[in-house]
Amino acid sequence: MLTGWIGFDDTLRALDLLQQHMDRAPDPWGSLARRGVGRSRRAPEAAWPLTNVFEGKESFFVKAEVPGVAESAISVSVEDDALVIRGERKSEVPEGYKVHLRERAPVAFTRKLTLPARVDADAVSATLDRGVLTVTLPKSKESLPRQIAVKSS
Amino acid sequence: MNDVVSVSQKNGQPSTQIYASRVVAPAVDVFENADEVLIVADVPGVTDENLDIKVENDTLTLEAKRTAPTGELPALAREFEELNFSASFRIPAGIDASAAVAESKNGTLTVHLPKAAASKPRKIVVRSVS
Repeated sequence: MLTGWIGFDDTLRALDLLQQHMDRAPDPWGSLARRGVGRSRRAPEAAWPLTNVFEGKESFFVKAEVPGVAESAISVSVEDDALVIRGERKSEVPEGYKVHLRERAPVAFTRKLTLPARVDADAVSATLDRGVLTVTLPKSKESLPRQIAVKSS
Repeated sequence: MNDVVSVSQKNGQPSTQIYASRVVAPAVDVFENADEVLIVADVPGVTDENLDIKVENDTLTLEAKRTAPTGELPALAREFEELNFSASFRIPAGIDASAAVAESKNGTLTVHLPKAAASKPRKIVVRSVS
């Protein structure tokens, strides 16, 4: 039985009061968390790294966001026509510091991306620039479109 | 919660359009010790010229533009967009903004905000009077 129905207005008012209370916090870090604009975009650790895959006429291109990952901590390989990106992003709390906000957890990742066509594994190249990994995967000869001559009988 | 929803009437039918904001807040860690406040932010794909860090009164603002990809090929999968970064933080009083230092490595930005000498915790020696 529904008693003490909380009207929609009351809920909003309660949230409003809570927000005001938080804003008035004397602790200077009270509302540190964020007054910034924009939606927060953090890849959940299980989905690291976020990738975009593009297809050109002769190659596939994979772009992955791997901020904080050193070249030595990432490996790119082609296994059974799939691109495998493995690596580790370290993220330590510096010794002796107090933590106010922690959104960058250490991540060990492995992502396997299967591509829609075979690639020439020997010709795959990768670059890492400012936390963005770009992998170029040339399509293998068999996957390139082949023109078939039409002969009139 | 920065999507702006606009509802308008069109031919007697309400129509709603949602304009998503074209910025995202980067993932950030904020640490503090006796000497400084340390902010670490993930800003992949941002060159140093496009990074803008401002300290004004009690606010630190971080803005970074990502160069929009031109002539992009068709995407088979897209999990991230090259949106601009923006975030602002309230910083405690007592930061010496003129001595702030920022460095970026592998797409991660680290900002050191040293505390002004006066606001560093000062140990007070207790002398017992016999």
